[in-house]
Amino acid sequence: MGVEQFQKNPSITIKSWVEAYSDKMYSWALYKTNNKETSEDLVQQTFMIAYQSFDKFEDRSNPKTWLFGILNHKIADHFRKIYRNPVINESDRNPEAGKDFLDTFFDADGSWIKEQRPKPWPEDAHLFDNADFIKIMHSCMNKLPSNWFAVINLKYLEEKKGDLICQELEITPTNFWQILHRAKLQLRKCLEIHWFKK
Amino acid sequence: MKKIMNWLMLSCKKASELIEKKLLVRLSFKENVQLHMHKSMCSACTAYEQQSKKIDELFHKHLNGDHITISSLNDRLKQKIINTIGKN
Repeated sequence: MGVEQFQKNPSITIKSWVEAYSDKMYSWALYKTNNKETSEDLVQQTFMIAYQSFDKFEDRSNPKTWLFGILNHKIADHFRKIYRNPVINESDRNPEAGKDFLDTFFDADGSWIKEQRPKPWPEDAHLFDNADFIKIMHSCMNKLPSNWFAVINLKYLEEKKGDLICQELEITPTNFWQILHRAKLQLRKCLEIHWFKK
Repeated sequence: MKKIMNWLMLSCKKASELIEKKLLVRLSFKENVQLHMHKSMCSACTAYEQQSKKIDELFHKHLNGDHITISSLNDRLKQKIINTIGKN
């Protein structure tokens, strides 16, 4: 088979892409969503879309970049869905769900509750390279309520601008930074318990 | 004077909210002054701001794949994708 024919036949080309890129795509999706089934679905969908819209792919562009573009789009869709329909067992993931969340950090005057008062973390220039710390952070992130996790992911996926995310999720900018405020309070607390106070 | 002080005073709850808001959007003049005043008197919120920035940096690095581990998609699924495409 000549090279020309190879490039013109979408199913053969895409098969070679499955061989070359599907592991990397799967790893990325898994890293983002922390869910094997979801990641498998997303990769599968990505290849289907790539196949169906193969004529939009220009030979000169990099297949990996193109595929990851589609995949990131699907991942963002996934988080938008989660934001709108958060998982039902939310109370399992957020033990404080019954109370007003902020009341677990601040008293009636809006001052920090004594045990929650932030104190400086020790200086550690290599913290982000510490594999144990990264593991803890990962598990703390995955303990966040699913809709908060979705908002954070959307914010950092493709470095989206805040106003764009608000439009997509149909939330007000105020709502957006309030969610980030809560998510960060929660994550901070988790890091303190499992890392800084150990 | 009391009126001015009231205008300037923030609770820690509100201050920590403004700290997050500031990382995303521009604060108004009033909010900036309030936050500045509050931090100059409150070591807890000053620490919170530093930690919040640190967490931001972490999110940024982490969510962009700095700590990714490569796992493989199972072969059965790969074959399934290839088969589905082959059929079309």
